[in-house]
Amino acid sequence: MREWSSRPLCLIVLLSLPGTLGVVASAADDEAANTIVERFAAANAEQAVPDFQRHVMPLIGQLGCNGRQCHGSFQGRGGLQLSLFGYDFSQDHEALTGPSDSESGRRINPREPAESLLLRKATAAVDHEGGRRVEPGSWQYHVLRRWIALGGKGPQSTSTLDRLEVAPAVLTWPTQGPPRSLQVTAVWSDGTREVVTALARARSNDDAVAAVQAGRGTVEPVGFGDTHVVFFYDNGITAVPIRVADPNRPVLPWPDDPIGTPIDDRVHAQLRDLGIVPSPVCDDSEFLRRASIDLTGTLPEPQEVRRFLADSDPGKRIRKIEELLERPAFAAWWATKLCDFTGCNPAQQAELGQRTAQQWYLWMVRRLQEKTPYDKIVAGILLATSRESDQSYGDYAAEVSAYFRDEQPADFSSRELMPHYWSRRNLEDPESKGLAVAHSFLGIRLQCAQCHKHPWDQWTQEDFRQFSRFFAPVKFGVSPESREPYGQLAQQIGLRVRGENGAAVRDEHLVRARKGDVIPWREVYLQPPEREQQLELLRSGKVTIKAGGDPRRELMDWLRTPDNPWFARTIVNRVWASCFHAGIVNPPDDLNPANPPSNPELLDWLANQFVAHNYDLQWLLREITRSATWQRSARSNATNQNDRRHFSRAIPRRLPAEVVYDGIKQAVCGSDQHRNVREDLTRRAVGHLSMRMAGTYAMHVFGKPQRSGACDCERVNEPSLLQAIFLQNDPLVYLLLEESQWLDEIGRHTAADEQQLRAWIDEAWLRFVARPPRSPEIERALAHLQQAASPREGMEDLLWSLLNTREFVLNH
Amino acid sequence: MTNSPGSRPVTRRTALQVGVLGAGLSLDQYLRATEARSERATDRSAVLVFLKGGPSHQDTFDLKPEAPAEYRGQFRPINTSIDGIRICEHLPRLAQIADRYTIVRGITHNLADHGIGTRYLLTGNRPTPAIEYPMYGSVVSHELPARADLPAFVSIDRPLEGPGFLGAEYGPLSTGEKPQYLRPFRVRGISLGEGISMARYRSRHALSRDLDAFYQGLDEQDDQVRSLDRFGQKAFRMISSARSREAFDLTAEPRREADRFGKHEFGQSLLMTARLIEAGVRFVTVILEDWDTHQNNFSLLGSKLLPPLDQGLAAFLSRLQERGLLESTSVLVTGEFGRTPKVNARGGRDHWARAMCSLLAGAGIDTGQVVGATNEKAEAPLADGYTPDDLAATFYRAIGIDPRMEFEANVGRPITLVRDGTPIRSAIH
Repeated sequence: MREWSSRPLCLIVLLSLPGTLGVVASAADDEAANTIVERFAAANAEQAVPDFQRHVMPLIGQLGCNGRQCHGSFQGRGGLQLSLFGYDFSQDHEALTGPSDSESGRRINPREPAESLLLRKATAAVDHEGGRRVEPGSWQYHVLRRWIALGGKGPQSTSTLDRLEVAPAVLTWPTQGPPRSLQVTAVWSDGTREVVTALARARSNDDAVAAVQAGRGTVEPVGFGDTHVVFFYDNGITAVPIRVADPNRPVLPWPDDPIGTPIDDRVHAQLRDLGIVPSPVCDDSEFLRRASIDLTGTLPEPQEVRRFLADSDPGKRIRKIEELLERPAFAAWWATKLCDFTGCNPAQQAELGQRTAQQWYLWMVRRLQEKTPYDKIVAGILLATSRESDQSYGDYAAEVSAYFRDEQPADFSSRELMPHYWSRRNLEDPESKGLAVAHSFLGIRLQCAQCHKHPWDQWTQEDFRQFSRFFAPVKFGVSPESREPYGQLAQQIGLRVRGENGAAVRDEHLVRARKGDVIPWREVYLQPPEREQQLELLRSGKVTIKAGGDPRRELMDWLRTPDNPWFARTIVNRVWASCFHAGIVNPPDDLNPANPPSNPELLDWLANQFVAHNYDLQWLLREITRSATWQRSARSNATNQNDRRHFSRAIPRRLPAEVVYDGIKQAVCGSDQHRNVREDLTRRAVGHLSMRMAGTYAMHVFGKPQRSGACDCERVNEPSLLQAIFLQNDPLVYLLLEESQWLDEIGRHTAADEQQLRAWIDEAWLRFVARPPRSPEIERALAHLQQAASPREGMEDLLWSLLNTREFVLNH
Repeated sequence: MTNSPGSRPVTRRTALQVGVLGAGLSLDQYLRATEARSERATDRSAVLVFLKGGPSHQDTFDLKPEAPAEYRGQFRPINTSIDGIRICEHLPRLAQIADRYTIVRGITHNLADHGIGTRYLLTGNRPTPAIEYPMYGSVVSHELPARADLPAFVSIDRPLEGPGFLGAEYGPLSTGEKPQYLRPFRVRGISLGEGISMARYRSRHALSRDLDAFYQGLDEQDDQVRSLDRFGQKAFRMISSARSREAFDLTAEPRREADRFGKHEFGQSLLMTARLIEAGVRFVTVILEDWDTHQNNFSLLGSKLLPPLDQGLAAFLSRLQERGLLESTSVLVTGEFGRTPKVNARGGRDHWARAMCSLLAGAGIDTGQVVGATNEKAEAPLADGYTPDDLAATFYRAIGIDPRMEFEANVGRPITLVRDGTPIRSAIH
């Protein structure tokens, strides 16, 4: 179930950049004067001077030579190996100017440039597997020829690319029309500017809407809708919004919204531009069910539904949101989500998998209960070591042992720091830690940059290496100064230790801790750098790490700077994605310039306000759920039926795995149990059972994430055949029905009159779908109950039937 | 995900139906008509055996005994039942039945990455961010109606790639685990629970159908809504019939048949595949993992990988042959790429997409031959070779599905099933 939805993390991509293959450069080009095309036209070329980094390598990239399929592949091709997508300028320079099998023994020949192997290959004058990439005499030819003639110099400039500018910034067509051109300008750190349209790689994010011709910057509308065209040059990536309006789109009146929030303003501005009319807001029972699920992972109880529907206060939705935000299940459900994002996985804990994961989960629950700001929660994880700075090893071992004491155990969740993030077995080396941190807190996928320049994103291997160094001091095991006390404790309880780094505590040792003994625990500790060092923060400036310092502090400070481009955006986008069918950036854990947000103004506003509201998750959820946008009905109209990107209607979502399980239990519980089920989290899949149930059949079938890799896609909300089989016929479902206390109550009636049956029918609907039944539904259910052998048997059938409706299993 | 009414093939058949719809059928009637179409069984089926990790082509079906030692490796070729065809010495059973399959050598591509390489090989289209192509089984279950009480598409044990633009309802039923030798196996929930009669189950189902009115009229709007409905129906039919349960039940096989397939998960998976195909499942995928032999290539292949492949696949092809099912079942055996021609310092071979090989067998395939070839060191195809697109076009053609057929996906334009491939003429009838 999991495999196919988890897109291969980075390379899915590469997918031939349109235009890089099969396009043979032509001599005739009509760019404005002073562009590279003009300067290197045959007539002018003799005066022109190409730069290796600014012109030669981008051209080679644009021609497709350093793609994965050609010389950019790991083993190179035909004896020539270039860095993938051209980022390692010195290596590429060496490769291009180095020895070859040609007569001259080199790839370039400055004395007779035209005889250079490089040019003869590129023009297919000699056999070239890649065919002819360059026409003799074209400007591209002259760029290469002049570079060779001038000695084939390597990277000269010390300036770096500051940014790419594209004009116009947006392209819109009122209907399909002729292609239009974009101009791409590189701005360098020394202030120089150059039009590089002809050198940039380009891609359309949806080539069913618009096609782009790389090298010319022309965009052609081919369908209707909106997308982005993305340009790549050097390290720069810029996405340009493209919109092709459909003149035949129906025109409908705007719905009469009772609400208008800042979120709605931003969503509506975009919808009006696109000619999309949103659906009206949903009715009260839909609102209540949706709010309960999205905020607390819990279905509303029958009495609550009745009261809410009867309430005539126009402010009742706002009041309900406040009430839900205060419920214990709010903390439980959002702790589950935060555990998804941070990768709390029992199988990967260093020891005592279930218990450790449980501690992690409950630590999150407490933070949410106490309304800890999100940045503080993250700091508690990111800066964690097992010991407080002045704690002795003995005190530490006693503290951790006390968490497991049978009598009056100490409470792990009261710790300020949560070190389990760092002790996971799949996070041993700094690189894995770097990948995990980038995914958990920045929504960035650095996987690609582990081996080569990220093909879509700006990241290079050097960026990745620098980022990983922030985590090099973080160790797990026995710190050098604790070896002696650790060894003594180990001896006392008979824990066998090989080597200096300690051993995992197992159940047989834990027995001692349960009795109240102190047993030896490994720890997350720091082995700080001995010398001062400078580290680069993902191209956002260098920081100095003092000798003996913890580089993670600098990282945390940077995350907290209000203009950090990723930290706040990532979490607001993830929270948004949990409340809708998709993120504003989707997938929500892939923030990169080539995957722009569907509504940038909305994302910026949410992120800025989230920071301004002191990283308050409740503020964020309140703001989202109060909006008309979140409260839209699932019923579509002629303008928005195909919209899945702009939030103009609700898109039904299958209930998350934990909610399906808890929901069934809730719907069949005893009449006096509702409150208990809602509040006693120790027996809930969104509560304390969350970790214990991970990996069970039911959770597997409904896609609870294993949290084993850095990907939000691990949580699967797609329906499947096995889910239908589960709901209809799984032993667990039969067991829940058989043990239903409500059915037991009904079973005490050997017969029931119509009034009683109607009351049960009403109750059943409220329990499963949070609305009263409509009259044909009542009649149909009544007919079934009246011919059943007993009230219990009839009602059991009815509960089974409601459980198997789409209305139950979808959040709509 | 896909947005319906998409993902219907633009074929004459649909055009006719839509025409009927236009002539006054309600959407509900139209849907029931499509449902009725899927009641009719066909006799065509197909199987994908996926050798996950990138099997070494030059150590299996494309040996180069004349190449220098650091290229040819440790294995020697043996003769097969067909003159002139030689395969690896660790595949003796397959060597005896070389008339039942065709070796395709010199398949070439450039996505030497497990993720996208797999996606490429299992869809026949280079992966692109704009559109998710469906994997073979999803297309086959979309095109070939299954029996109402059987899943159309089964994956043992995990799904490989997805239904793409066809939508979730064309995903596989995944067994979640592989069958083990002589151990009972069941897919949880497909036998009607104890203590509930068939009559009561049917009456519950009827009640549920009648009560599931909330999404009436919204069925075609969203993929999730539609597929939930289809899954609910399919689950009901499977549970209320014995056919699925019996098809998965390996205890119904005599001991000697279980032995013939081998005492390993792979052999037992293929035995289950045979039973599923015999029952009428349209597409089954079977996975044999661990071909990613970056080190100890030869000991891994010789002891762990090739023997089960040889035994299981030979038994499978023989069984289908004995029961006359090779006439109607097309089989593709492939990995995602080949491995580096030169053995590395750790006695392994690394990823190599420029040359790989696959096997085709069964319905539609002209078997007992080798098509395509690689150069003397198995580095690259001679001449142009074949692409994964060509392989896919060949497989679809063998199954009886036109690789050029078009689908109305949710991107607003028709999508060709296999964009760039051409069937390998010499491999098909």
